[in-house]
Amino acid sequence: MKHRIHLALLATLVTVPGWAQDLSVSTTTIAQRWTQDTNGFDKATYTPVTEFVGVDANGLAGNDALSVHVYGWGLRDLSDASSVAGRTNGDLTYAYMQYHFDQANAEIKGGRFTVNDGVRNEQVDGVEGRTDLRYGFSVSAFGGTPVLFKNLSNNPQADNSFQHDMIAGGRLGWHTAKLGEIGVSYLMDGSQAAYQYGPAMPVDYTRREVGTDLRLTPCSFITVTGRTVFDVAAHPQPAAGTDPSRIAEHDYKATAKLTETISLTGSFTERNYYAYYAGTTLPSLFNQNEQGMFKATGGSLVWGPAAKWQVVADVRRTERGIEGNSTRAGADLRYTDAEKHFLAGGGYHRVNAFEAASLGFLTPAYGLSHDEMRAWVMTQHGACSASLDAIRMFYADSGKNPNLNGQATETAVVGSLGYQAKSNLKLSGDLTVEDTPLYRKQTTGLVRVEYQFALAGKGGK
Amino acid sequence: MFKKLALLTVAVGLSFMVGCSLVSPAHSFAPTHPQALEQGRPTCTECHGTDRVASTQKTFASFNHTPAFIADHKFQANQDPNTCAACHATSFCADCHGGKTAMLPSTKLGDRPDRMSPHRGDYLTLHRIDGRVDPTSCYECHGRANNDKCTACHK
Repeated sequence: MKHRIHLALLATLVTVPGWAQDLSVSTTTIAQRWTQDTNGFDKATYTPVTEFVGVDANGLAGNDALSVHVYGWGLRDLSDASSVAGRTNGDLTYAYMQYHFDQANAEIKGGRFTVNDGVRNEQVDGVEGRTDLRYGFSVSAFGGTPVLFKNLSNNPQADNSFQHDMIAGGRLGWHTAKLGEIGVSYLMDGSQAAYQYGPAMPVDYTRREVGTDLRLTPCSFITVTGRTVFDVAAHPQPAAGTDPSRIAEHDYKATAKLTETISLTGSFTERNYYAYYAGTTLPSLFNQNEQGMFKATGGSLVWGPAAKWQVVADVRRTERGIEGNSTRAGADLRYTDAEKHFLAGGGYHRVNAFEAASLGFLTPAYGLSHDEMRAWVMTQHGACSASLDAIRMFYADSGKNPNLNGQATETAVVGSLGYQAKSNLKLSGDLTVEDTPLYRKQTTGLVRVEYQFALAGKGGK
Repeated sequence: MFKKLALLTVAVGLSFMVGCSLVSPAHSFAPTHPQALEQGRPTCTECHGTDRVASTQKTFASFNHTPAFIADHKFQANQDPNTCAACHATSFCADCHGGKTAMLPSTKLGDRPDRMSPHRGDYLTLHRIDGRVDPTSCYECHGRANNDKCTACHK
């Protein structure tokens, strides 16, 4: 079925240039080469070549509101070694037709697209529609099948078909000029939960979620954003003596603009594992049966001492119940001179973390604290561009941490040179030199060719 | 049978008419920004001042690309994707948010150190620490999709 969909999309794509008023085709070819020297493994050389292709066709059939958008990539490794993702790989990220009305922000789209509406981001093969309503309301809805689904149980994928046969959802929003916007959204993924099978499946991949989101501006200098997500799926009875919360997530942030150049932000996050991990396709990593919650509180201060300078100081404390607490604190500096096409930045952060628990006599408890440093610069002169990005890490407990192979530091430097050969053709090359606990010394070469068939009005520069 | 069909047609017709009358008469947000923007993070209020977007009544100040906005752009994108689409092509989002990605965003954008790109440097080493400090931080991108590489070790 999926092959037929791909063929239909390809056939549509081939005919698009004939009936589009404004067509933009962008391609990026990236060729890389590196020799990986991982502790405990043989050396292996990788030479993957990846092609990214994007097509944006607007004004189809003489109608400015109708457009087609396609983006995907394909990869082939030219050397003998194959990475965990395989020697060949690829994905059709999105391919959809959209009708955008000039009234009420209304639009309809069909095909493969990403829904980012309220609760979660979902890649869907299906249809979506949205519109603003009178009195400040807005409504959106989507339905289709999830694009990616792969369960990790020993059962064939087909045995779980009712757990990934459909996905649907929607959001109802309401805004006022004085206060801001609030919304409520719903997501359902899979038509039949694991416990409804006979015999019951060991892992439940289905989801039912309700979310609320807000963006409030009670006065001109204060903004509050956030969301709460509830897991409303019918799960099998949890283990005796446990009463896990069904609130998957609270995630809120408040920003106060104190002066023209200073703003202060406070944040609060709480996630309950049982509800937050519900429906994961990777239960070995995101263990829904793990009791407890994750909590984080933080704050940041943004200060622009001069027009081109910006300083951000931030602190975040995270709590993992009996595992322990951690604090990450530091500052970033950024300089932007748009006229001279010169940007630079740097930062330092210290993470004071708890000790990871001992897994036995051979692996004693070890500390997770570390320091992070980064500096980067980026400039452009005429057709030539250059950038340099350097990262240095200091791990506090390299002697005990078995993952660090006794190495206390990590260095990664990425240098890049680019040449804009034509307005629609750019060549660039990156050289990455790393000295890391996992890969020892590793050098990666990368050549990038970016070509645009027509200059589009937007591209996310 | 005919009666039921007629009633259904009337009900659908009435629902359609009521639905249409509820649609906002306001013009849509501009599909593309009329002027090219300078390099770097845009400050919308430099041109738009204290104006509000006609359709959503949000201030242009709320779209200023401040560090807080960039770190939490999901809130804006999940409420008003139209405003993002005025300047950003969908492929801009897909650099990081593809359901299946070809390479780390920081590798693809190795010539753009100014962009906020996750997993810079040797993240394979660091993820063993980050994952213990905050195991939920991985879930949003790798909990349901984009986890083929995770399964090489986390079976």
